[in-house]
Amino acid sequence: MAANLTAGAIAKMLSGEVTDEKAMTPILQVTEIKMIQQARRNQEVSFERYKIALSDGIQSQEGMLSANSNVLVKQGSIQIGSVIKLTRFSCSPVRDRRIVIVNEQEIIAEKWNIIGNPIPLLTPNAQINSVVTNSPQAQAQAVHRQAFGTGFHQQQDIRSELNGVANSSQAQVVQRQAFGAGAGAGSGTGFNQQQATRSVANSSQAQLVQRQPFVSATSPSARPYVSSNAGYESSRQEQTYYTRPPVQPQQPSMYVNRSPVARNQAAAPMTIPVAALNPYQSRWTIKVRVTSKGELKRYSKTNGEGKLFSFDLLDADGGEIRVTCFNEVVDKFFDVVVVGNVYLISKGSVKPAKREYNHLPNDYEIQLETWSAVEQCYEDDVAIPRNLFRFRYISDIENMESNSVVDLVGIVSSISPSGLIMRKNGSEAQKKALQLKDMSGRSVEVTMWGNFCNVEGQRLQSLCDSGTFPVLAVKAGRISEFNGKQVSTIGSSQLYVEPDFPEARVVREWYEREGRNAPCISISRVFSGAGRQEIRKVITQIKDENLGTSEKPDWITVSATISFMKVDNFCYTACPIMNGDRQCSKKVINNGDGTWRCERCDQSVGECDYRYILQLQLQDHTGVTWATAFQEAGEEIMGMPAKELYYLKYEDQDEEKFEDIIRKAAFTKYIFKLKVKEETYGDENRVKATVVKAEKVDYSSDTRSLVEAIHKLSTEDANSLTVNPESSNYRSGALNSGVGTSSVNMQGRGFGLPAANQFSSDSRPRGGMVLCGACGSNGHVFANCPSFMSEPQGEHYVSTQGRNAGRGMPRQHVGSY
Amino acid sequence: MDTSSPSAFVNGSLMRRYIGQKVRTVVQVIGSDVGSVVGKSTDDLQIFVKGSPPTTPTTYLEVIGIAESENSIRAEVKTNFGNNFDPLNYNELCKLANGEFKHFFI
Repeated sequence: MAANLTAGAIAKMLSGEVTDEKAMTPILQVTEIKMIQQARRNQEVSFERYKIALSDGIQSQEGMLSANSNVLVKQGSIQIGSVIKLTRFSCSPVRDRRIVIVNEQEIIAEKWNIIGNPIPLLTPNAQINSVVTNSPQAQAQAVHRQAFGTGFHQQQDIRSELNGVANSSQAQVVQRQAFGAGAGAGSGTGFNQQQATRSVANSSQAQLVQRQPFVSATSPSARPYVSSNAGYESSRQEQTYYTRPPVQPQQPSMYVNRSPVARNQAAAPMTIPVAALNPYQSRWTIKVRVTSKGELKRYSKTNGEGKLFSFDLLDADGGEIRVTCFNEVVDKFFDVVVVGNVYLISKGSVKPAKREYNHLPNDYEIQLETWSAVEQCYEDDVAIPRNLFRFRYISDIENMESNSVVDLVGIVSSISPSGLIMRKNGSEAQKKALQLKDMSGRSVEVTMWGNFCNVEGQRLQSLCDSGTFPVLAVKAGRISEFNGKQVSTIGSSQLYVEPDFPEARVVREWYEREGRNAPCISISRVFSGAGRQEIRKVITQIKDENLGTSEKPDWITVSATISFMKVDNFCYTACPIMNGDRQCSKKVINNGDGTWRCERCDQSVGECDYRYILQLQLQDHTGVTWATAFQEAGEEIMGMPAKELYYLKYEDQDEEKFEDIIRKAAFTKYIFKLKVKEETYGDENRVKATVVKAEKVDYSSDTRSLVEAIHKLSTEDANSLTVNPESSNYRSGALNSGVGTSSVNMQGRGFGLPAANQFSSDSRPRGGMVLCGACGSNGHVFANCPSFMSEPQGEHYVSTQGRNAGRGMPRQHVGSY
Repeated sequence: MDTSSPSAFVNGSLMRRYIGQKVRTVVQVIGSDVGSVVGKSTDDLQIFVKGSPPTTPTTYLEVIGIAESENSIRAEVKTNFGNNFDPLNYNELCKLANGEFKHFFI
């Protein structure tokens, strides 16, 4: 078969037009093959790689075969003259050349006559190692290069190769001058060689991680090579060395071993995608950008102390992985790793990811060891994005689990000043909260901890104070459930204020257009007042729904009346010492001499504070419960500070007045915000309710919620509910008491019968009886009650009649005003 | 409780159902004259109340009387309902009291 090479393919690959198989799968001929030995420093085994030259009949290009294909070369399937089709390859610029890394190929013809007149690229010098300039071990490369001699663009390569070499500017400068306009390969090469070697010798600090920048080669000869820093970005070291007599003999092999890390990197141009990393593959190299770097953390365990730091990587394919370094490895790499830079990393251990700390979408994480290599790529690879965001809408957060990690972008609508929070372990933490809203019409509270408060937090604060509402992008924020859903920063979070991503721009435009005034529903419930966000419940629901039994306490709002108050211990002696901006409030013990001792503060005070600890019995139309009210709620209920009341009772001994006050407080109706939580006392589990807030009833808003409830009921009746044969746990006892105490009238309606109602969204008819709420008899439900059926009730009752028949009694709730 | 003459809760639009019957409603006082009050019902319709307003009128006024036409009441009892009153809730009440839950009311 006639093998048709894809003419012009090499030119395209060299120019950068074609970088991988997605652009084209060219058919090329192997014109040279050379085996390279790669030996690792820390490992005994050396392994082979094949360097090849591929031609399209017009031009040639260097390449590397994948290690998997070694066997093909050995058995002769791929030999000089073989025509292969590159099915998976990548062309990466290296210095100013392009190397083709062939991951997969299809052998079209094993042996064919050489087509065209390709220029030989590779040298017969078998001793020389890597071709690819990935390694800082450019010395070897440089040396190697020279042998090329011919080949137009090779010279450029050599030049820049050498430039890159030895990590020293001297070499660079030297070379340039040597090259002049770029001809004279012969003399040049010899010259360079020596330069290379010399500069190698000179660069005593062959830094493992440093690499010379690439000069992206465009048209070869046009470059002004004489000018010193033309195109040279990365050379940090100033070019000081301008004179040069090269005298040293060429000793390439000597310098080959010079730089330990380089050695290892030497012939490993092939980088694998991060997604392909796994613990079973030991030899890999990844080319990645650091997207975030954690702080240096110290820890102490039973077997000693240690330190660690982590950083996250991103590669061109969007794969992400975290890298962690421990103890001495931290010292090695901590300063090396800079966020935003691109590195080649190899020889780390791939381990399963620790989900507790690692939230990246990768099953594995890398742990670097002392023999690992982290090399900086000075050539910035634009293929690797700076950051990979997976932005979600705030409305999605409501459905996401707590502790999951999410990226968000939105407008900061409000921000509050930093505050200090005392942690359980006694340490203080700085926190700052802001409201973020986005196009989903929802807003969420985002909390920043620690350092974020100072840097990004301050910036955001000043922006908001000045009236502009900035765009904020959050990467890796953790969702938590605390008053609805909230997002907080964790160690690996990152905040971007007014970033330049396209998504940020979209959000900004939306805000300008409509978002500014659009109503935003907060999914983080703010802790104040009887807002729309609170969950209204009736007292029996506390028991029915097992509130408080889950891990977290349940926060509910009930509208109830105080039916009883324990007066014996309505307050306790409290420590008045301020801890930050909070009062200690721990119970103090009487020392006997008039002073009071606090255990927590470890101090004695002369005058103690009195704080309320009221045991109240709350009752609504469904049931009764006990709750404890502390200082703030206590003051609201009693109408005076605890100290006053205490004095009144004990000091002044004014029983009458005291009782008066108590009586006034009793049987008053409030909107109570309760925190319900199950607590264990020895063997017993009791559900305790704490009054967090007691507010006077705002009839207007309360009625409104009732109206809503009624409407909801009617619509739910109309859309037939799932027929649930279980009927409600109807406690007539509770009902009676409820009816007794709370006057049942909805704005004038003096009717005591319960109406069918469903609470919020969870109506749970339970129990086994079908009781009619109206007449109390068994067997039918309220809506079907014969005592009502004298006249048509209105369409909806008629229609639901059938449905209600089989249905259990829904929770009965009556407007209780 | 005297239930001999029950009054139905109405708003502006429901009054026509009870012409000639006793109704009660709450209006927001727009203007008052000697002998009459002009008010805005909770559903934003104009209601004329015949009968002199109380000496110190508040913003909201409850009127119980006979509905003479679909927008006027001959008031028998007028009660000040204060300045903070939620007309929306009252409106809802009227709707429910005459619709779904009519059987609750006399």
